Amino acid sequence: MKEILIIEDDQEMQEFYKDMLQGEQFVVTLASNADEGLKKAKEKNYDLVILDILMEGVTGDRIFAALRKDSRYRNVPVIMASALDEKTYRCFQALGNVSFLEKPFNKENLLGVIAKRL
Amino acid sequence: MFTSKKVIILNINKIIFSSLDIRDVYQTMSNELLKVIDFDRLSVTLISEDNNLYENFVLSKDYEDTALKEGVLYPMEGSLMKRVVQFREPVIVGDTSEGRFLTDAVLFKEGIRSRLGFPLEYKGKVIGSVNFGIKQKDYYSKKHIHFFSQIAPQLALAIENTRLFSKIKEAEKKYRDIIESSPDIIFECTNEGEFLLMSPAVEKITGYPADQFYRNRGYGLSLCHSDDQERVQNEILLLLHGLRGILLDLEFRVIHKEGMIVWLSIEALPIKEGNTIVGIEGFCREITERKKLEELKNHLIRDVTHELKTPVAKIEMAVDMFERSLKTGSAGVPERGAQVQEILRNNIGRLKNSMKNILEISRLESGMEPLKVSNVSLNEVVKQVVSEMTGAATGKGNVVVNGMPSDFPTIRADREKIYQLLVHLIDNAIKFTEQGKICISAMVLPDALEVTIGDTGRGLEEESKKRVFEKFYKETPSAYGSGIGLAICKNIVQIHKGRIWVESKGKGMGSQFIFTLPLQRTVS
Repeated sequence: MKEILIIEDDQEMQEFYKDMLQGEQFVVTLASNADEGLKKAKEKNYDLVILDILMEGVTGDRIFAALRKDSRYRNVPVIMASALDEKTYRCFQALGNVSFLEKPFNKENLLGVIAKRL
Repeated sequence: MFTSKKVIILNINKIIFSSLDIRDVYQTMSNELLKVIDFDRLSVTLISEDNNLYENFVLSKDYEDTALKEGVLYPMEGSLMKRVVQFREPVIVGDTSEGRFLTDAVLFKEGIRSRLGFPLEYKGKVIGSVNFGIKQKDYYSKKHIHFFSQIAPQLALAIENTRLFSKIKEAEKKYRDIIESSPDIIFECTNEGEFLLMSPAVEKITGYPADQFYRNRGYGLSLCHSDDQERVQNEILLLLHGLRGILLDLEFRVIHKEGMIVWLSIEALPIKEGNTIVGIEGFCREITERKKLEELKNHLIRDVTHELKTPVAKIEMAVDMFERSLKTGSAGVPERGAQVQEILRNNIGRLKNSMKNILEISRLESGMEPLKVSNVSLNEVVKQVVSEMTGAATGKGNVVVNGMPSDFPTIRADREKIYQLLVHLIDNAIKFTEQGKICISAMVLPDALEVTIGDTGRGLEEESKKRVFEKFYKETPSAYGSGIGLAICKNIVQIHKGRIWVESKGKGMGSQFIFTLPLQRTVS
């Protein structure tokens, strides 16, 4: 089964992810902040990372950069999630193998974007 | 004798055209003239545009002590000049003592006895006259008129040239003054990148003096921010290749000598010689301030959007989650229902709070709402806020200590606003403190009261300390709260002519929000 790491500091958002991915063919790991997320990423080779763009302390671009610095994650697909629209984060697109997920999303949207990247 | 006169005439005409300004060679010319026409006084006068005045344009240097001075305007009426202009022919005055003209009387007093006035014509129009004066009576005759008529046309032409030259010089000075004093950078450069003109404003804007640009080809482009260099170069090439007629408002960054980024907006046109483009000319305006404001505005819009969209997004997702639980079966429905209810309540509360605060800050910032000033006892307000908020504080294991001195003076202030200020500050302290202490203390300064809301909570790092009073700034973007509370506090304190700041030794070290309010002064 594919392994997905979700870095999201909002407890309620975590609940939504859990609910939507429950019973799907993925192993889901949740991290509540950037440090925890990067630590977990080091422990295991995930197939996909879902990243909240606005989190405590660090912004998504920094976590993204830190992730891409790790050779194992150079080409791992990343999904960036935010309540702001895609235009605000145009700069990420150039970085490659990134999808954007606008909040709110439903189960269909989420599974769709995961399927596209996995 | 005849030949020598001819030589002298040729010589005089040569002298006349040896300079663009007749005044420069006037003395040489009159010395030469003296060889053939005797005079004690020689002047050139020019008619003003309305024909009512004439200017004593030049006067021989050795005749300075006179009532009719160089560079001064005199009325035409009654002068020899008027007669010369009227009849467009030379006029001879045999004896000034007869007082035929008003100017005769003046010059008679200076010892001049006879005069010869000679019209200066340019393109069929009399522009002025040349006037000879001598101490001898009945000196001038037809002989002199005949002789001078061979010089007069050249002299008229030279004077007209002088006038044109002065006008050009004046226009050039005006143009130079504009360039020198312009706050914008005005420039001209060849298609090889060599600067022909670079106004001094460039030093103020970029830190580099203009001559650095004159000396180094392509220097302008090298100051360009590396991300903008290619874009600017391409646009300029389009101009130089004639593919674009004008460059308008191209915005780019340059690196100031001190290292900071300066934003410029350029407008430029190609310089043409015939059909060939030989360079460009234009100006650069500094727009750094505008750019900073734009950026601030964009951040603000982004933050407000995020703040309002997030709870709405979560409400939508919560409803979606509930609907799905209903579809998939009954097992988890009651728990899901409770969870969804909780999420809905949280986020509706968050939205309401944001809207309330946005309205509040807009009202404060508009300055439209007058302060309702009265005598306010800070003790009484603090007591009220503490009693209202203790519940929320103890819920997180916090203790609230009211450390206000009992004999604290009253101040003139808007009570409702002071109440709001304390609510926001104490609420903020509770939000970032767990199992800790929140203490409100105060002291009296010579001309102000100083109130401190201290907590043992999360504390702030340098960056956050700087930005904590900015609208919508949140150290934790996903945290509950609109990010406006402290901006409202700052506004309330400012309209009361006080100060507010934060002190913290860093993460985990707690923080103190301190504000002052002026004492015993009426707030307008």
